[in-house]
Amino acid sequence: MRLLPLAFTLLVATMLGLGVTWFSVTHSRGLDVVRSGAWEGWPRAGTVKADPYARAAFARSGELPLELADGLLFLATTDDGGAPLDGRCETRIVGMLPQARLWTLTVMDQDGQLIANDAGRYGFTSAETVYRDDGAIDIRLSPRARPGNWLPTGARPRLKVALRLYDAPFSFTSGAADAGGLPRISREACL
Amino acid sequence: MTALDELREEAAGLGVRLRRLAVRIPRPHIHLSRPRIGSPLGLLLPAAFTLVLAAIAHIVSILAMPALAERNAYARLSERTDANVLVLLPDPTPRETALPMMDPAFISAVCLYDLSEGALKVRVPATADYTSVSFYTAEGLAFYALSDQAAGKVIELDLMTASQKAALPEDEEITAADRLVIESPALEGIVAVRAFVRERGMRELVRKQLEAASCSVGG
Repeated sequence: MRLLPLAFTLLVATMLGLGVTWFSVTHSRGLDVVRSGAWEGWPRAGTVKADPYARAAFARSGELPLELADGLLFLATTDDGGAPLDGRCETRIVGMLPQARLWTLTVMDQDGQLIANDAGRYGFTSAETVYRDDGAIDIRLSPRARPGNWLPTGARPRLKVALRLYDAPFSFTSGAADAGGLPRISREACL
Repeated sequence: MTALDELREEAAGLGVRLRRLAVRIPRPHIHLSRPRIGSPLGLLLPAAFTLVLAAIAHIVSILAMPALAERNAYARLSERTDANVLVLLPDPTPRETALPMMDPAFISAVCLYDLSEGALKVRVPATADYTSVSFYTAEGLAFYALSDQAAGKVIELDLMTASQKAALPEDEEITAADRLVIESPALEGIVAVRAFVRERGMRELVRKQLEAASCSVGG
């Protein structure tokens, strides 16, 4: 009589525990999130101090995290207002970048896959983009060709943008937000 | 005999008095009846029990994930290459990437190492631009990285376990000065070499340069 409720409790508990695990490894890249506007970075994920959540997430995804001595990855899935990045809209990424030897900016769909396009253009590097006079970048994400630094979005409903700063000085105490900040992301017009 | 009888009588008397005393001690009232389902305690207790068990299941599965994950980077790469050989990975495309979230602006090469037969020698010649070498254990833990700027034009290093490092002859000063020795916390792991392509037209050139990179065991 009492065995059945016990088995049921155990089953529910295990399902609940594993469900939370599944959610955290698919939605998080570790606990030590550094935020700057819409950008999120996980500096410790690429060190031996990576927390269990970061280790579990990378073991599941099969990704090799960028080593902190090599570079630092920032991801954005929303604009500065918090609205999800929509590939059917025009999105602008404007601003100065922190000190780094080089940087790359890549547009992906929400699963992290590159977006197919005729130009074979998936992102910009610090050497390719055209800077404004004040040294800031001005990159447009749009489903249609745009003058200037244009990245095609393939009209995907959700986008993920990766900004990688290579050979960049980073200190844990100040965080990335103090390092001059990262470019702002804003939505212009939607189709 | 009489002494024994007397003792027995005395003991019997003591026994009776003790029993009387024991009756006077109030017995604790223990209610072993189960709380009924529906009462607040009856729901709260199983819920708390379930939550604690769920938390344990969650923590255990998170901690076990690196050891149990079957499709981690090491497993994905071992479908492509043998141990202790450096291979160039194909450029990531929208249809296929060797590993998720690779930077498309880089050319990547990997070497799956197995230090059970000796230290690994890694040599990465200079490419046209920024080049880095990163080290991971088979479970995907990043434990060391260096770039061409830190290492000079050609990156040359020896990767070995702690015991192999301890067994190195100490008098060879030239070796120590020339080569960088890196200690690996695991016998197996991944060396990832990444070379930056400044402009897309330079892809082929950088790829050719990176083909000269190597990793090998022995010597």
